[in-house]
Amino acid sequence: MQIVFFALRNFNRSRARTWITVGAMAFACAIMIFYASLLEGWLAAMEKNAVSMDLGEFQIHAHTFRDDPDLYKRITGEESVLARLEAAGFAATPRLYASGLAAAGNSSSGIELRGMDLVRERLVTSLDQHVWQGQWLAEEDHSGVVLGRRLARILNLTVGDEVVVVAQGADGSTANELFRVRGILKSVGEGVDRTGFFMTAATFRRLMIVPNGVHAIVVKRQQATEDLVQATARLAQLLPGYEVRNWHQLQPVLARLFEMSKISLVIMLLITYAAVGILTLNALLMSVFERIPEFGVMKALGLSPWGLFAMIVVESMLQVTVAVCLALGAGLPLSMYFSRHPLDFSRFVQSSSTIAGIAFDAKWYCAVTANSVLLPILFLYLVAGLAILYPALKAAMLKPLAAIYHR
Amino acid sequence: MNRALSPLSLFWVLLVTATLFLPPDRAVSAPSPDEQEARAILLEIDDLWRATSSQGTVRMQVKTANYTRTMRMEIWSKGKEKSLVRIVSPLKEKDTASLKTGNTMYTYLPKTDRTIRLTSGMMMSSWMGSHFTNDDLVKESRLADDYEPGITFRGKRDGREIIEFTLRPHPDAAVVWGRIVMTVTAQDHLPLFASYYDEDNVLARTILFSEVKTMGGRLLPAVLKVVPTDKPGEYTELVYETLRFDLDLPESLFSLLELRRR
Repeated sequence: MQIVFFALRNFNRSRARTWITVGAMAFACAIMIFYASLLEGWLAAMEKNAVSMDLGEFQIHAHTFRDDPDLYKRITGEESVLARLEAAGFAATPRLYASGLAAAGNSSSGIELRGMDLVRERLVTSLDQHVWQGQWLAEEDHSGVVLGRRLARILNLTVGDEVVVVAQGADGSTANELFRVRGILKSVGEGVDRTGFFMTAATFRRLMIVPNGVHAIVVKRQQATEDLVQATARLAQLLPGYEVRNWHQLQPVLARLFEMSKISLVIMLLITYAAVGILTLNALLMSVFERIPEFGVMKALGLSPWGLFAMIVVESMLQVTVAVCLALGAGLPLSMYFSRHPLDFSRFVQSSSTIAGIAFDAKWYCAVTANSVLLPILFLYLVAGLAILYPALKAAMLKPLAAIYHR
Repeated sequence: MNRALSPLSLFWVLLVTATLFLPPDRAVSAPSPDEQEARAILLEIDDLWRATSSQGTVRMQVKTANYTRTMRMEIWSKGKEKSLVRIVSPLKEKDTASLKTGNTMYTYLPKTDRTIRLTSGMMMSSWMGSHFTNDDLVKESRLADDYEPGITFRGKRDGREIIEFTLRPHPDAAVVWGRIVMTVTAQDHLPLFASYYDEDNVLARTILFSEVKTMGGRLLPAVLKVVPTDKPGEYTELVYETLRFDLDLPESLFSLLELRRR
């Protein structure tokens, strides 16, 4: 208790130096809280674009479908598979895929036809919320289709325009039909943007002559707390005859990018706090050296070396705690503000820019999470703790008599 | 999944192969080094691609693991630049027509009453479900331009006098095949087999020629069977039912207006 009292007293002694040190730490910590929140927000947006729009958390295919997609490699008895998935606590939606050609006017482009189950898709992805122009698919609109953004641009199509689709039906015949553009999606990812051509599952089955089976089942955990790898194993056990992949396996580049982003945050923290650490070290060294005679007197009066060490540590931690309070006071509101009002880079970034095939939004939102707030604070304590080791040990090892007469 | 559909590729094969393997009118010149002779044969074949015009009917049977289907179509060509293919049956695809003029290709789809213009990039794509590859389309260029021929066998095989020659692409040629081995009869250079090897020197497919008969005044194989190596039991068979050459076809036949005629 006495040590805390001394520490508190010392905090107020060399005010200018103390507040400069505290200010530097607070500034660095606040900036890092903001940076970490921004990074978390960016990663969350990327993950949302990857997982919530197209990939889903897991995908189930017939074996070899992913390596060599084929209209005939289907999951049969999909209703029972879906029922099993739902019973096991997963949300799941079936999808149908085929390649074909879309043409409008003098333009034509290769497309990936996608047959969607409108009711179930909503439970797994938010594609229906991601429409840029027009509307999402509707069950009663048999000729209405939704296109990826770049595809619409390639074919020079806007909502309401006609588009012809040519493909090879499952019976080998030429499937062709006239559709009307019902909606155009916002940027989702390279694949969907360039070739995504969405229609209802019923329309797909009629056009492609695929009366049953599906090409993929996209799955989402209902409890997001369940570990991704564990859930993948549980799914594989549930559906032994099929290929089960989680989104990390489906998009390994993106998964690695996420890991690297987390590492980059730690590196940024270390770099920023290294400067803070040097400043703290300098301030504490000065405060120890100018108080050597005082420490000698304290030791002569019976304060143990560990007592002196603890006093300097508490003194510094007190400064760090004040700095953390200030950092929270500045960094949190700043991050909270930008979690509602995004940083808008749309003037510098193209509308359909992608990283690892996934679209990223030019508007960056902060995401204030436990990680984004606690990690910078934890690192500040760690770096400051390391910085005071040397001056505190030096003080602890002073010889009382020599210290008293130190000039 | 992004294989763009190009039904025209198949029709091109029909047209190209119809004229590619016509027997030469003139005899091969006096004995000369093998390479020179091979080149001479190839040049003859190349020149024979360009009949002034042709018209015919073709039956095509495609057998895959998932379906077997038969189509009949009528084909017209004029020079090297113009050709028209119109499907006669089955009913579902009747009147679907494809027109090629120069480097531009159009397909007319009667069901939607629309004409689609295919870009050159798409013409290079594979035709979904067929056993023909992109390279079949490229045959607009001369084989002699892209490949260096060399006679690799001459003599008796299976009781027939044959010449086998191997075509290897020039280093800078934009072709998909690593090697093509052609076997022709020694006497009148009628094709028997053509084996296509990919860049890894693995046999990808074989074209078998049979039923040699006189059509349009020329002796030629009436049946072509394409057998892919990696899909056992699958094939595409083309049967030329009728074929006529050097007709006086009007220019208007190869117009967008004619394409839509039913």
